[in-house]
Amino acid sequence: MDVTMIARISLFMHRYRESAIDILFLFLLVQLGAIIYSLIEPDTFRYIDSRNITVTLKAISVLGVMSMGVGILMIAGEFDLSVGASYTLTGIFMARQVESGMSVYLAAPLAILAGVLIGLINGTITIRFGVPSFITTLGAMLFWEGMTLFYHGAKSMRFRPEQSFVDLMSGQIWVIPASFIWFVGVTLACWALLHHHKLGNHFYAVGGNKRAATAIGINPNRTKLIAFGLAGASAALAGILAATRVGAIQPGQGSGLELQAIAACVIGGVALNGGRGSILGVFLGAALIYTIQDILLLARAPGFYLDIFVGLLIVGAAIFNQMIRRQQRAES
Amino acid sequence: MTAAENPCEQAAARPPQDGVSLLELRGICKRYGPVEALRSLDFQINQREVIGLLGDNGAGKSTLIKMMSGVVAPDSGTILANGMEVQLNSRRDSERLGIETIYQDTALVDSMSVIRNVFMGREITGWLGFMNHRKMREITEDVLRSAVQIGGIDDPHKTVGELSGGQKQAVAIARAVYFKRLILLLDEPTSALAVRATESLLAYIRQLKEEGVSSVLVTHNLYHAYQVCDRFVVMSHGTKVLDCPKEQTSLEALTEAVIMN
Repeated sequence: MDVTMIARISLFMHRYRESAIDILFLFLLVQLGAIIYSLIEPDTFRYIDSRNITVTLKAISVLGVMSMGVGILMIAGEFDLSVGASYTLTGIFMARQVESGMSVYLAAPLAILAGVLIGLINGTITIRFGVPSFITTLGAMLFWEGMTLFYHGAKSMRFRPEQSFVDLMSGQIWVIPASFIWFVGVTLACWALLHHHKLGNHFYAVGGNKRAATAIGINPNRTKLIAFGLAGASAALAGILAATRVGAIQPGQGSGLELQAIAACVIGGVALNGGRGSILGVFLGAALIYTIQDILLLARAPGFYLDIFVGLLIVGAAIFNQMIRRQQRAES
Repeated sequence: MTAAENPCEQAAARPPQDGVSLLELRGICKRYGPVEALRSLDFQINQREVIGLLGDNGAGKSTLIKMMSGVVAPDSGTILANGMEVQLNSRRDSERLGIETIYQDTALVDSMSVIRNVFMGREITGWLGFMNHRKMREITEDVLRSAVQIGGIDDPHKTVGELSGGQKQAVAIARAVYFKRLILLLDEPTSALAVRATESLLAYIRQLKEEGVSSVLVTHNLYHAYQVCDRFVVMSHGTKVLDCPKEQTSLEALTEAVIMN
């Protein structure tokens, strides 16, 4: 490769840095490697097997939907550690309503509304009292986890909605599960909002430089509050998808998911201090975590391998982003 | 309060009248704890006028600019726009009156593109509030090319963090230019600019005046001020010590007024 070619590629990478071109390369590389290996070893490594594809896509969807809300909130400059707790609580709330005779088509929107409400409470406390959202939502996480046990107890909650709802949420078209279609739909909606709607521009502005955004007439509190609400809504929708797929909800199932969602965002290039990131990045971040998990499962690696890999990936992604930014600053 | 009831809206809707200032501040006082930032200050901006606001550090120039931008509220005194009493409680209020401020620390977001910065908070939108990217890009390219020939920003998709200090200033000025303001408040706009960029900015202030935009230029550089301004206001310790048109003063007299007070 000659010098101009390298320069051209580096310019291309540079220009599309914010649209997560690097994570896309990594993602495609991992896919390519897995596909090639599965062609070499079709009997022991069943990566391009329709069942494997379906299972992986289902797994990606739940984390992916949650990561969308978490990612937008991070771009607006705030955190939500309570999404895992809210995911469980809103799911159980919905299941109990259905059990007591309410139509699931009413209970599910109510669950999302409950998620939004939890998000708005987090946001209001954060903004009103100037508490860092990391602290607010750490408290909220513990509070709602406890409230879930108080409200329901430690037992598993059955979720048996009407068949039409099950088909809608976890049916399957060819190898594509319905939950993945939901995830793609949510991704497209978030992409339109963040990259093409004026509100998206405000999220970036408030997260990137709150003082400048305020000086120019954007209301930072309102903008952040909306982002908190979206994070709550995405947590609740993820909860609905998971509950429908499994047919039951475990009161402890959501713990740890909030960190995975943040991990997906960081791997996808969302900055921890706000103002940077893209929807494609978050999508790929979530997909990459589960692709690696799937590869490790197929390779019969013990479960803790995943943690090791994801851990390395997070720090690696953060170092990479930092290097790019330093290079940008040096150039200017 | 609806928009129609807002005095700023009403004042902005009034046709400009001869002999009435665009903006007039009367007997303004402002304290920060024990510090008197402004002491019964009178200040007015007339139509088609470039005012040089001069004075040493701590004279109260920045406080006055912030007050006219709606960021700082006066403790006492009145503000009149087009002869009508108004209150400037927020950036929105000053925006309604057509006032645009260009800050020392330009109010830009480093992680956003030039285009998104120019239209930040005033995006051009179509259906359901979705942004019209093409139109915003075209306008940005046009404004950067024709109006503000500072610093060669070749790609409006670049993030502002990649730009130099002068280029950032140019983006802030482009923003003000495009949104056709009546009054431009420039707080030390040349401090981050190279010589040539400064020249074109000063020329641009003159050109804007021909187009009916009044400017207030805060600067330490008396030579720059003397080049472009029609009237000079020298402040010291929160009050006005000199207010005279260019014809009645000289560079030497201004220098003396700034240094002696």
